[in-house]
Amino acid sequence: MGEDTDFDVIIIGCGMAGMACAAQLLKEGVEGDRILVVDRGEPIGGKNMSGGVLWGRELDDLADIFPNWEMDNPGIERYINHKKIGFLSEDDAFIIEGKFASWDGIGGTKEPSMRTGWSVLRGRTDAWFAEKLEEAGVFIMPGIKIDQLHIEDLDHTSYDPRDLTTPSEDSGKGNAQKWRIDNQPEIAGKVRNGRICGIVQDGEVMTSQVVVIAEGSNSVLTRSYGFDSMIHAQDRHGMLLGVKEVIHLGEDVINSRFGCFAGDEERPPSGLAMEGALAIYDNMAEKAWEDYPETAGLVPRAGGWLYTNRDTLSIGVVIQLDSLPQGIHTYDMLAAYKAHSAIAPLLEGGEVVEYGGHLVPEYGLDRMPTKLVRDGAVVIGDAAGLVYSNGAVIQGQNYSIHSGKLAGKVIAKCVASGNCNSSTLGQYKKDLDASYVMRDLKRFKTTAKFLSDDANYTWVPKFMGTMFNRVVREIGEEKITVEKQAFRLRKEMRRADKKTRKGMGLLNLLRLGRMGRKL
Amino acid sequence: MTDKVAIGLFEYDVKNGLGLIGYNVDEHEHAHIVVETSKCNDCSHMMCVWGCPAQCYNFRDQGLEEMKFQYEDCVECGTCFIMCDQGAVSWNHPRGGFGITYTYG
Repeated sequence: MGEDTDFDVIIIGCGMAGMACAAQLLKEGVEGDRILVVDRGEPIGGKNMSGGVLWGRELDDLADIFPNWEMDNPGIERYINHKKIGFLSEDDAFIIEGKFASWDGIGGTKEPSMRTGWSVLRGRTDAWFAEKLEEAGVFIMPGIKIDQLHIEDLDHTSYDPRDLTTPSEDSGKGNAQKWRIDNQPEIAGKVRNGRICGIVQDGEVMTSQVVVIAEGSNSVLTRSYGFDSMIHAQDRHGMLLGVKEVIHLGEDVINSRFGCFAGDEERPPSGLAMEGALAIYDNMAEKAWEDYPETAGLVPRAGGWLYTNRDTLSIGVVIQLDSLPQGIHTYDMLAAYKAHSAIAPLLEGGEVVEYGGHLVPEYGLDRMPTKLVRDGAVVIGDAAGLVYSNGAVIQGQNYSIHSGKLAGKVIAKCVASGNCNSSTLGQYKKDLDASYVMRDLKRFKTTAKFLSDDANYTWVPKFMGTMFNRVVREIGEEKITVEKQAFRLRKEMRRADKKTRKGMGLLNLLRLGRMGRKL
Repeated sequence: MTDKVAIGLFEYDVKNGLGLIGYNVDEHEHAHIVVETSKCNDCSHMMCVWGCPAQCYNFRDQGLEEMKFQYEDCVECGTCFIMCDQGAVSWNHPRGGFGITYTYG
């Protein structure tokens, strides 16, 4: 059975998707020593970063390989039973908060009792997953970057893999779609369409029946090997940048400051997941518009988050890259968020222990890589753009695990039958389409549009904050009904700003409402 | 810190942030990102400068006449590749064993 290849399956990337795929292959009966997982991080997890909360119980299915993962994995920090959704404007914060006993997972609640999300630190989670896979016999090679795939009938020395990622001389001027490899059309054709049958590492070929690309959100291989076009990959729409800090506070401080359960033999400690829309960049934007009039009027659309880990906080902002005006550095947006009056007190006394940045491929349906399957290869996880957000939730790690599992099931069958063509591997795409991952992405097609609407980062948070302020305050003014208050505030805001006038127009409100209903 | 936040402009001490990440910097000839900086002169937007969370790109924002790129502080996020539409950025991951290592992630 396939002994003429070095491995049955080579998985590139040991993140959530890659490790889940390897674990599923083991479950389906593929021998551990027929699976190779390579990752460019050393140790495994060293390149990996998420916001990060892992939502959903996807790991339960893999408990054979990852036993007692919730308690034993050192990167599973706290389970989430406390959720906040915020609307932050410069002066105010309007925050919706929920604390759910059913999320404690200890029974006695009317809603299904289960722990459903965990704050994670990927540097630690992924190292543990890799260790468990290794114990099950899988070959894990850390510190290995793959920049060349082995293509059938193509001598890998006949082209320089750097030509796949280097713009050609005549490319540019707003058009970066020509790459050096395009000057050798015959090779380019094979690279993008030929059968993939292994990897090339340091000039040495390692063959397999199937190569799984699980490289993550910034997948050079999917671009280089024609799963996704370069120009498509370079589009800013739907691409988000997360800029994050990990801040050490100490376990006791977090428990008392955020009202968390401290954890026991059976349960990890509990914690908070907070996300919010940010309308706090007015002054930064105005200054930027003055200095760089070319993008005057462009409002940075960003969300902020804060998650509690065991003794640290994960805090950051996620920025829609097509909305970034000239004149604003992304990291300065993090500083503004940290300084907000609703956030700063939560961080007090903390020491920043890590900083980082990571792309989030929130492509939505029409922006996913054009191909997920080729003869001898499949793409899973972030590399396939499987991220969903509606503002209230943002998910990707669970989709990654799910896609890895689906791919693992199909690949095991294909490997057993010896037929790993795109037609048989294509079952993975069909299974993915039928799964909740793609059904979610399809059902919530309009949310991407809703989330990229300026309103949610300008007048909506301001309106909500000021409304709440006025409704609940007592400063010796005459009380009016909420309805009247809303009309009055709308009128004031429309008068103050031309853009807001348009944004709060009745037609636009109707349009937003229609999209909002479909969240 | 709990004082009323001054509404205005914020600057993040990015160099301090970057100092908290573990790096194993590869030699120059193996730089994972290569920028053809001559193409930057005609670029009107410098979106790489604004997007990059590691301040690897320095240009007119820092009062420089020419684009100055350094790969050493790169956090390997890929933002510059997305932002550049001038065909100036050749982007790849660092060689195995090189680049950043997150301890938290």
